[in-house]
Amino acid sequence: MQIPFRVVFEQRGETPRRLSLLVPFASVVAALFFGALFLLATGYSPIDTYTNMFRDGFASFNGITDTLALSTVLICTGISAAFAFQMNLYNIGGEGQLYLGLIGGAWAGIALGDHLPTLLMVPVVLLCGAIAGAAWIFVPAFVRSRLGTSEIVSTLLLTYIGASLIKHVIYTPGSFFRNPNTSFPQGRMVADSASLDSFGSSRLYPTFFVALIIAGALYWVVKRTEFGYRINVISDSPRAAHYAGINARRTTMWVMLISGSLSGLAGAMLIVGPYGKIEPSIITLGYGYAGIVVAALARNNLGLIIVSGILFSGLRVGGNNLQVTTDTPIHIGVMLQGAILLFALGGEAFRRYHIHIVRVHEATSQKASA
Amino acid sequence: MSADAIAIATTLILAALGALFTERAGVLNLGIEGILLTSAISSFLAADASGSVWLGLIVGTVIGAVLASIHALLSVVFRANQIVAGLALVIFGTGLANFLGKPAEGKTVTTVINPLSFGPLSDIPVIGPIVFGQDIITYLAIALAIVASRYLFSTRPGLELRATGDDPATVDAQGLSVARIRIRYTMIGGALVGLGGSWLMLAQSAGWHQAATTNGLGWIALALVVFAGWRPMRIIFGAVLFGFTLQLPFTLQAEQITFIPSAFLEMLPYLATLIALIALSRPGSRNLLGAPRALGTPFVRDER
Repeated sequence: MQIPFRVVFEQRGETPRRLSLLVPFASVVAALFFGALFLLATGYSPIDTYTNMFRDGFASFNGITDTLALSTVLICTGISAAFAFQMNLYNIGGEGQLYLGLIGGAWAGIALGDHLPTLLMVPVVLLCGAIAGAAWIFVPAFVRSRLGTSEIVSTLLLTYIGASLIKHVIYTPGSFFRNPNTSFPQGRMVADSASLDSFGSSRLYPTFFVALIIAGALYWVVKRTEFGYRINVISDSPRAAHYAGINARRTTMWVMLISGSLSGLAGAMLIVGPYGKIEPSIITLGYGYAGIVVAALARNNLGLIIVSGILFSGLRVGGNNLQVTTDTPIHIGVMLQGAILLFALGGEAFRRYHIHIVRVHEATSQKASA
Repeated sequence: MSADAIAIATTLILAALGALFTERAGVLNLGIEGILLTSAISSFLAADASGSVWLGLIVGTVIGAVLASIHALLSVVFRANQIVAGLALVIFGTGLANFLGKPAEGKTVTTVINPLSFGPLSDIPVIGPIVFGQDIITYLAIALAIVASRYLFSTRPGLELRATGDDPATVDAQGLSVARIRIRYTMIGGALVGLGGSWLMLAQSAGWHQAATTNGLGWIALALVVFAGWRPMRIIFGAVLFGFTLQLPFTLQAEQITFIPSAFLEMLPYLATLIALIALSRPGSRNLLGAPRALGTPFVRDER
């Protein structure tokens, strides 16, 4: 059987500006619409679900501050993913690097905490987390730049190894990171000097502004520095970069190490912020994976990641509160995140291509059916 | 001991074969874990509602193909970034599975897939339960791997499939539709993954434990395909090896062997894959490894 029409994709020379704004917006609307149909089909009220999610995610004091608090982490893991993705380096192991950031940060907070004042201690904790995150991506970065080993698989495998490591340091009796005073396995608290206070009665920590500053700084690096220029040349045309004498190996190495350190930083921010210790439940939360979604929705634009990071955090905070406010399963939040990204990816095609349907010439379709 | 290892290996063989078919066509579907989870819970709900495990297996398999068709639509028709599309599918599938699984929490299926009985053969010590104590799907999975190997390397459609992954332009010049072949095998691959997920749920009858139900088996399956060099027969070997190492911590714990930290044993399969991956990727050995050359790149005729 021959289908009498075909879909033609025509590459756009330049994307109309209105489409660049319309497509992400339409993706979110389409995903919410799809979610509403799904909720109706499974016997839940979409209106109740969405109003509750919106109120608890974006429209109450606790909602907004919780959303911004979560976005602190997601912005960091988001820029971690985007920074590597823009050079076609798919570090999808941000999740594991975040675990290591937690371990590195907690180590600094416990081991050095009593020797340094807060003003110095918090940056040290963040730095140690970032270094631990970078260390976790070192092997994938090294073999990617030297041997071309797929960083997708290697960074992912290391995430599982990292999860085992988190469990190991918490559940092993006598572990340095385990609270020695309780029989129930939990993390040892870092020194007071290594933890910050949240704003007022909220759960929002000053690290939020650190995340914003880092996003801004990296934006500047990519747009304005020679290093950023090199990244752009390599991602546009590896061959041109080679002829221009750009050392792709070294740049690959650095980009991946920076990407890893940003996910590690996200983990360390949880140490100085809400956790104050290694919280083994981190391995079920998927903040690192969510960073990939945040980056993809912002099309790896480091400025837009702040917007998509906050949007996603709101969806999650609102979704998690559904447990309290309605009987809708909280997982609708995660499902909607996935749906938004799927629709955004589909929408990308409309942004990049002029899509139209043409009738196949009758003669050919007759010949084919004969 | 190793009867459990074979159990994990069955899901791994099916999921890895699914990934292999997809990747041989040049499509990288990282969404395996999401498909596994959604198929698992769908099969559970279907089996629970109908009382038939076989209906459950069918529903899970179909759901696998449906989810894979989303990936095919995005990556083949819309030419989206396949890595991001696959990850989106993992997130979507995980959310969907947990949503659907809420009523199933704490329940187990009443009817399960029983192991086949080979009479006295199954009673042979050690070898008996491993070789003759499995259920029909396990034997089917091994048979599928053997058939897949024959299909890939000794048949015309198999050749077309491999060519689509290696050199789509040539396939296109032959007058075949690259898009259609890629969509077809992405969906077949999804169906196989779906069967693996359903089997995990219905044969193991361990009940629904959210993401812990699959516990990353989908990701391991993807690594296994690399480990097996995109060859079906090596998948059987790799899956048994992985199944064994994944089961090792529990076995040693049961035997009171504690001098090796269990966390290290947990890491072992991932560590082994990582080392194998690095060892196999000397410069220029990509072909030797067997990765389809056009893996992950959309085919666009006019940009050739």
